[in-house]
Amino acid sequence: MSELKLQSVKKSFGVTTVLQGVTTSFSSGTVTAIVGDNGAGKSTLCKTIAGVYHPDSGKISLDDLSLTHLSPHETREAGIEMIYQDLALAKQHDVVSNLYFGREKTRWPGWLDRKTMSAQSRVVLEQMGIKLPSLRTPIGLLSGGQQQAVAIARALLFSPTVLIMDEPTAALAAREIEHILDLIKKLKERGLIVILISHRLNDVFAVSDRIIALRSGSIVADNLVQETSMQDVVAQIMIA
Amino acid sequence: MFARKFLSDISQASLLQCIVFLTVMSIFFTFNSPVFITQVNIVNILTASAVIGLMGVGATFVIACGSIDLSTAATMALSSVVCAWTAQNLHLSGLAPICIATVAGGLCGLVTGLLINLTRAPSFIITLGMLSINRALAFILTGGIPIYGLEERITSIADATLCGLSFPAAVMLAGMLVGYLLLSRTKFGAHTLLLGDNPGASEAMGLRVARLRLGIFSLAGCFSGLAGFIFMARTNSGDPSAGMNYELVAITAVVLGGANLFGGRATIPGTLAGVLCLGVLQNGLNLMAISTFYQTLFVGLVLVLASFLRRLGPHQ
Repeated sequence: MSELKLQSVKKSFGVTTVLQGVTTSFSSGTVTAIVGDNGAGKSTLCKTIAGVYHPDSGKISLDDLSLTHLSPHETREAGIEMIYQDLALAKQHDVVSNLYFGREKTRWPGWLDRKTMSAQSRVVLEQMGIKLPSLRTPIGLLSGGQQQAVAIARALLFSPTVLIMDEPTAALAAREIEHILDLIKKLKERGLIVILISHRLNDVFAVSDRIIALRSGSIVADNLVQETSMQDVVAQIMIA
Repeated sequence: MFARKFLSDISQASLLQCIVFLTVMSIFFTFNSPVFITQVNIVNILTASAVIGLMGVGATFVIACGSIDLSTAATMALSSVVCAWTAQNLHLSGLAPICIATVAGGLCGLVTGLLINLTRAPSFIITLGMLSINRALAFILTGGIPIYGLEERITSIADATLCGLSFPAAVMLAGMLVGYLLLSRTKFGAHTLLLGDNPGASEAMGLRVARLRLGIFSLAGCFSGLAGFIFMARTNSGDPSAGMNYELVAITAVVLGGANLFGGRATIPGTLAGVLCLGVLQNGLNLMAISTFYQTLFVGLVLVLASFLRRLGPHQ
């Protein structure tokens, strides 16, 4: 049972304060949605957890491990994966290269171990029920849903403890959204800490256990899904 | 696996176009010059292509990572001057001059990489500055007068042969092999291509981008330095004005070979094909006694034609 804790996390860019002392925690086996209007600080909060930004003050920790000043590489090593809104995929590269982006396997004398990477990629994609035309296909030639699935598979390849998903269903077709939501439910069953950023409240209510509403960098509401409604959440997001 | 990867590289549409173009040119020149397809002339083409080829290997890495290096020729000239000066004053022989030229080039590349990382300015601007700085340093070191009269044990290297190939051609092919292995078989190469494909994602995925860029520019500098040694040995001089505009020829060769000028896609077999295209074209036109003015025109036309054909390719 792991716990991700944020204590008074503050972040500013120049004169603009984006996070104003965020304090919260996330537990294993739960999907927590972070909702808010544009500029509320959702993406900044998640990128700060992922090590892309360092907080100006406050603490971030996963169990006993402090994440406050870790780099993206180190947070990934610590078991925190983030799926970015733009998916952070290399479009001219094939599926295997993207799955192992930055974590390539090598064998003596330092050559890339493409055989092992391809075999393991096949297994992970099969486990997740992701069907792709070929592992050698450049990512740019796949559909939006397939690209999203590859980004999720990449995040899961190294068995993370925390998975942060920034707008995973944006710009997807209805059928693809359904598939992604099913995947999120499976991840919850596997005991991951899942943090979901989404503008689509239907999706949020379909998979989340808890909803945190952010406004101007502060948490204005933190409710269990069964204790709130879409109207309440909209009101919390919009009304100051 | 090795052979499969190599075959996959050369089966890329743009590279295939380059090979077809090379074949067509070779057939054309064979019919127009009786000496074109002789062993001596083929070795000549490879020898004459060695300097551009070595610079092209470095340029492939730089272009693959989404940058551009306009200082390669100036680095090559500075390295050849530094090498000639030290070889002459310290009476060096054997591998030492080669190492000095390579290290000098590597240091120039390291400085370029550091400046790009520190200033976060586009590589185009920084390398344009380094072009002037390196060229100026070469002129300052020599007072504008090439260093002539190198010892025979150094210049004779250019005339040596290895497995039927001239020393410059052998060094170029060895450099291509090293470049190929680095780019397509190692993490360093994979990260270089990933950085060029999506720099933002590379940072987000935890690639140490600044360190990687430093490595890429240093490597490109090393290849330019090695090219500087070959140039020096072939011309028996450390010439500060050596290789004016060679950087553009090297970039042309890389692009002809199918590299994406915006990064993410480049192969060493492609660069080799591009270098050979330019080498064969120049050699064939020389054999047909066509003026150098027209040769420059033809190189330009080849690049334009290749770009046009690539737009018609299936991957577009």
